[in-house]
Amino acid sequence: MRDLRELLLNREHRSMRHAVPDNLAETYSALGLDPRERMTRRFEYLAAEETPVFLPGEKIVFARTVSNIPDCFTVEEWAKFKKENYIHELGYLSNICPGYDTVIRDGLLAHRERGDEYVKREIDALLNLCDRYQAAAKEQGLEEVADILTRIPRQGAKTFREALQLFRILHFSLWLEGNYHVTVGRFDQYMWPYLEADLAEGRLTEEEAYDLVKDFFLTFNKDNDLYVGVQQGDNGQSMVLGGMTRDGKPAFNLLSRLCLRASCENKMIDPKINLRVSAETPDEIYELGTQLTKAGLGFPQYSNDDVVIDALVRLGYELEDARDYVVAACWEFIIPKYGMEVVNINALCFPKVLDTTLRQGVEYASYEEFCDAVAQQIDQECDRIVSLRNEQYEKSSETAHHVWFVPSPLMESLMSPKYHNFGAHGTGVATAADSMAAIRKYVFEEKLLTFAQLLEAVDSDFANNPELLHRLRYEAPKMGQNHPYPDEASCFLLERYADSLDGRPNCMGGKWRAGTGSAMFYLRHAAELPASPDGRRKNEPFGANFSPSLFARIGGPFSVIQSFSKQNFRRACNGGPLTMEFSASVFDTEEGIRKTAKLVQAYIRNGGHQLQLNAVNPNTLRDAQKNPEAYRGLIVRIWGWSAYFTELDKEYQDHVLARQEYSL
Amino acid sequence: MIGRIFDIKEFAVHDGPGARTTFFLKGCPLRCRWCHNPEGQSFDRELMIRSALCEGCGRCRRPAENEIFRTYGRNPSACPKGLISLCGEDLTPAQVLEKVLPMKDLLASMEGGVTFSGGEPLMQGQFVSECADLLHEHGVHVAMETCGYASSEVFRQVASRMDYILFDLKIMDPKRHLAAIDADNGPILENARWLMENHPAFVFRTPLIPGYTDDGENLAEIKSFVGDAPWEKLPYNNLAGAKYSMLGRTYPLEGQERT
Repeated sequence: MRDLRELLLNREHRSMRHAVPDNLAETYSALGLDPRERMTRRFEYLAAEETPVFLPGEKIVFARTVSNIPDCFTVEEWAKFKKENYIHELGYLSNICPGYDTVIRDGLLAHRERGDEYVKREIDALLNLCDRYQAAAKEQGLEEVADILTRIPRQGAKTFREALQLFRILHFSLWLEGNYHVTVGRFDQYMWPYLEADLAEGRLTEEEAYDLVKDFFLTFNKDNDLYVGVQQGDNGQSMVLGGMTRDGKPAFNLLSRLCLRASCENKMIDPKINLRVSAETPDEIYELGTQLTKAGLGFPQYSNDDVVIDALVRLGYELEDARDYVVAACWEFIIPKYGMEVVNINALCFPKVLDTTLRQGVEYASYEEFCDAVAQQIDQECDRIVSLRNEQYEKSSETAHHVWFVPSPLMESLMSPKYHNFGAHGTGVATAADSMAAIRKYVFEEKLLTFAQLLEAVDSDFANNPELLHRLRYEAPKMGQNHPYPDEASCFLLERYADSLDGRPNCMGGKWRAGTGSAMFYLRHAAELPASPDGRRKNEPFGANFSPSLFARIGGPFSVIQSFSKQNFRRACNGGPLTMEFSASVFDTEEGIRKTAKLVQAYIRNGGHQLQLNAVNPNTLRDAQKNPEAYRGLIVRIWGWSAYFTELDKEYQDHVLARQEYSL
Repeated sequence: MIGRIFDIKEFAVHDGPGARTTFFLKGCPLRCRWCHNPEGQSFDRELMIRSALCEGCGRCRRPAENEIFRTYGRNPSACPKGLISLCGEDLTPAQVLEKVLPMKDLLASMEGGVTFSGGEPLMQGQFVSECADLLHEHGVHVAMETCGYASSEVFRQVASRMDYILFDLKIMDPKRHLAAIDADNGPILENARWLMENHPAFVFRTPLIPGYTDDGENLAEIKSFVGDAPWEKLPYNNLAGAKYSMLGRTYPLEGQERT
């Protein structure tokens, strides 16, 4: 077990991979094949190219041996698609949560019967690969593996181990099909019946089950280096534990517990653990979560059922589905199987809204008048957001006509689309709210400067006015101080954002959801802007997601959780957590764990919607930047995912380090 | 009544029951060689400069029309990186209460309260007593972290108002105590005895400082002194010296190994 983890960390298994020629697009194009045919052919081809491999000691098999997935379309074809459609990111299905449970229960043959010809062909290709795995396992004397593979791919799983293996086959196949950010969903719910039966009938002890979970968790780390998003680690393999069942009962069970423990012990970046909690959640579950935080992986991320379920119902989700919510790759709330949503299709940059308002050259008579102007600017930004303009898309006008995804037979066969909402991030909330607070205080109350003077200072990056810079940066009230000015401004910004998106249809018959996430925009949006009135200088990033500004002199955790829970998340609920950094020493004692768990509970009871804690040791990070070889296993949280620190680009490393200034 | 603090720390998890907010009072009668809050030693306000990040632009030395520049020859608000701060804020008990009230419910939900630490709270005993009375009127749990060095009158006046006391016992041998801390430990031990006999909720604590407090002889003497009373040993913090350079001072235990 230990060996397998080491082997994965040392990347030894990667030597078993080979690349296939990147020429499928040209071939398919020459044959004039339609997209669905191409996806099917490619899957058949890649499944045939895959070679059965067994890593030492592993119980759950299947690892990628083909290192690349050649594109199905030529550059010219993509250009054409992009003219005629709005293409989201890479154009392939991503960031959704397939319904795994039925196939795990019934097997691939039953699923084949329900599918169209493309699904049938992909399943045939997959079964062929399973059979080759089975034969190879037998040949190598892996009797148990061979036995399981004889039955389950076709007939479905009966035991917990079988269910884990079949999940692995499905998850592997969805990635191989070319989908990405393939999330895991409510693993402790759809797997629990198998484990429960095994325990009841004496097929497994709790410790044996735990060993299986640990081994299974390693499978997410076999191929994740092939699943790179913006950075290594951004792969969307998120798992959601606890919360409530579809009929409203507490869902946290023994398997949830085993998962938290396994994540703690494996100390690897996948799967990314999310823990659903509410005001009613017992202290003990918060404490288990905090034990995992202590492990330093940046998990779990908490979400508040009280707020999220209510918010989803208000958006029109059926109550039972809302209770079943999971997170997409990072934090956006989606419904497994039923949510064919695009949760990160666009982003509103709040500091840009402020900047544009400033540039209108108006000396507003009152703070209220200024706020009205900001609100108008938010409306204009939302017009832009829903129009989904991009460089190539010609038809874009008031609203996008069409968002097109490459058809994905297998992934689609695991979905029953009911919800088609779009989510938009909201970046730099604290930077914008702090800017408004500074304007309220220094322009209107103290009449220290005019809007024109403020704009001049911003445009010169405060070069000629260091004293003003100091005042704005370090003396003005900030989010994280529980001060009414910035906190009220943030409530205003999010409320108006939600108002503005409210009632706007999207092109798929769904709605728009306003969020507080940033993804990589805390760097990208910030880089596009000049300095801001909160004293942020040009080229300084925003805080990630819904967090204090990096240089803000915050009051401390009590002030932070109050500043960041006043907003109405029942309206702005696309997701995006408050992140707090704690010195690793807080977790040294059981007392510290218990108290931190209470703090999380307090945030949830205060009405916060999503929270993520980091246990960090800044000295370790600095040393790791200098001596990367010595810190290969060091894990840090980035924006909605965790990564090996030394594999990150320096700008992301630096942001992680800058956040520590505000750690305890 | 005015008190002087040098820091407020929210979510202090090592300063008494539950999660707490700790007020650090400026000024201490002792001079422990290993002190990790050197800005808590003097009652006077001091300039702290995070010089490690200073790029030497010199702006802070340009003459400025403010009290701080006149006193210290530096102008904190000229520093573009905010590296200079004046350490020491004067507050009335009412202002302390004003800072606590917004987090009162949070403190209660986390079974915590407010702790007065330092420096040494007993140096500002009257202020701490008034704060405690005021906080108690609002149902806030109040604790004190003390070195115990004060006259027995002051100690009893303040201690009797506390819901919980964290009392440091460092070195039992009077000569060694004087050499390491520049003070006689007689008053400390007298107050500690009173505490054991009269106070319902307290803990003794001993920081384990290599070469000063962590030897078997000292620890055995402490053990025999405290008997069955609650007693905790605290590991030495190897970042203890971090703040000295900000005050333009040198850490007396520079280079000391961590235990």
